[in-house]
Amino acid sequence: MSESMETTIRDRARDLLEQEEVHCVIGYERGPRGDVRPAFIYQAEDAERLVWNQECGHNLVVYLHDRKLPLRKGEEPPRVAIVAKPCDVRALNVLLHEGQVARERVFVIGIACPGMWEDGEGSPLQARCRRCKERVPVLYDTLVGEPPEVEDVEEDWADLAELEAMTAEERLAFWVQEFQRCIRCYACRQACPGCYCYECVAEQVDPAWMGIAIDLPEVFFYHVMRAYHLAGRCVECDACERACPVGIPLSLLNRKIAKEVADLFGYRSGGDPQTPPPLATFKRDEDLPL
Amino acid sequence: MKATTRKDLIAWLTRLMEEYTVIAPAVVGDNVLYKRVASTDEIAFDFTRTDMSPKEHFFPDTQAILAITKGHGEVSLAEPPLEREQVVFGVRPCDARGLKVLDALLLEHQPADAYYAERREKTTLIGLACPEMWPGCFCTSLDSAPDEAGDMDAMLTEAGDSYLVQIVTKKGEDLAASLPLSKASQKRPQPKLSSESASVPSQEVWRQHFDDGVWARLADRCLSCRVCTYVCPTCRCFDVRDDVTQSGVEGSVIQRLRAWDSCLSEGYRRIAGGHDPRPTKMQRLRNRFYCKFHYCPQDFGPVACVGCGRCIVACPVSIDIAEMLGDVARLVDET
Repeated sequence: MSESMETTIRDRARDLLEQEEVHCVIGYERGPRGDVRPAFIYQAEDAERLVWNQECGHNLVVYLHDRKLPLRKGEEPPRVAIVAKPCDVRALNVLLHEGQVARERVFVIGIACPGMWEDGEGSPLQARCRRCKERVPVLYDTLVGEPPEVEDVEEDWADLAELEAMTAEERLAFWVQEFQRCIRCYACRQACPGCYCYECVAEQVDPAWMGIAIDLPEVFFYHVMRAYHLAGRCVECDACERACPVGIPLSLLNRKIAKEVADLFGYRSGGDPQTPPPLATFKRDEDLPL
Repeated sequence: MKATTRKDLIAWLTRLMEEYTVIAPAVVGDNVLYKRVASTDEIAFDFTRTDMSPKEHFFPDTQAILAITKGHGEVSLAEPPLEREQVVFGVRPCDARGLKVLDALLLEHQPADAYYAERREKTTLIGLACPEMWPGCFCTSLDSAPDEAGDMDAMLTEAGDSYLVQIVTKKGEDLAASLPLSKASQKRPQPKLSSESASVPSQEVWRQHFDDGVWARLADRCLSCRVCTYVCPTCRCFDVRDDVTQSGVEGSVIQRLRAWDSCLSEGYRRIAGGHDPRPTKMQRLRNRFYCKFHYCPQDFGPVACVGCGRCIVACPVSIDIAEMLGDVARLVDET
């Protein structure tokens, strides 16, 4: 299955580059140590490097931020093609809505996704994939693969139960313990398609909202601030958690806020490029149970 | 060659804790890190590569370097108290080499870094030889080896139930004076080497290929995070800032902190007026590699990479410093 999908992806990439429809195809390749990593293909003959399998976990939408500027003055920004899973496409929708990416500058090679392995070939699917019902992207220019059959799983937020059962003090203690390992490398932020501020609050010098210490309370402030800035925008792709070198369970924090947004507004981020996220919307008559 | 038993080693380490701050590899969550330990039970004797290098115990990620107290018309300055003598146990040869590199950059080049100098001076390194090279390790390509003792004060090699002991410096000798030693009954076991190798291109090659397209291709993947620089045993950039920790009518307390910084982050090179001479991630990533393999050898002597492989393992998008060296070497073949 993934082999024929791989062939299709390569064929599409080759066509797009040969016909000069796009400047670059962003997909996946296998590195010399065997790990799957993002790949940037500029020449049709290099399309052979592209791979597709259940280790293609990176959310490549983050790289669209590097392609916002024209290559030459006076031109449009380069058009790129991107291999995108259903979760990645939701991140793209967030960026489309926020005016970060123009739809016509991106060619979406959508993937009918079987889910990503947790830890290499044959291992269980990642938690986010076990929960996922959306095996076909909500937006694409070409679709690769057949929609896989998946069990109809109800969103029960079961992963949050343990955290929600804690008292506020226990929860604080839990997060203090997790965050104190943070080395403030910002890998979570850099891997996140939704984090694209020109200057992050965490690094702003004037005013200096946050000290430079790689320590509590700064790291706590940083993570909570980031989670709130992603409220109603995070698509739960877990790119942040996978990038973290010290294993901080950031998905729990993001999921908790996603649940609040779902409960309060009945909203799930990235479902389409039109619906504005609730926290970017003002309704005169809105009455929220806060 | 001398040897000690595991039991004697543990008893010795326990005794050391009374007099010294003992730092050793310890399991913290899913990670193995060099931590200050209060008991030998916390020490991970059987570990591979720690996730962070021990550099944080010489060059802390966050360090108060001055406290300024203002109030009632007076200003007083206080430097932090001097550190206690420390022993770092279980140092791997690559990390000890990393400290040698830092010595060249921070001590042998004037002005010396006083904070680093103090900790380095007051530390004894007890090495633990690697039984093998792990994925990503390429120390043998950088003039070291999994059992290289030369950069330690004393070196241990596990051999069955005992540890073979090599004394390297006077400091190591003094510390090991209280460690019961007997004549070793066996030869020192040889580490299992991997076939992994990388060759560092000559200075001339780096000079010639600064503008090569290879850097943009590599940087396409880079996320501009700081993981590689923070796990690196030789990266040493820092920022200094004064933080007001207390302020009111009675006066204020200002702490001057220095904390790790990274040349890979956006804005690292931004200067007064807002100009940034390294605005693209290609320029930043290239700078990291040039710093390690061209600027450091040129300005300070050693190559600032020890082949520990941490950046290779930690990079979320698999940017691979050994692969990069190969790419640069290939440029030479192509021209």
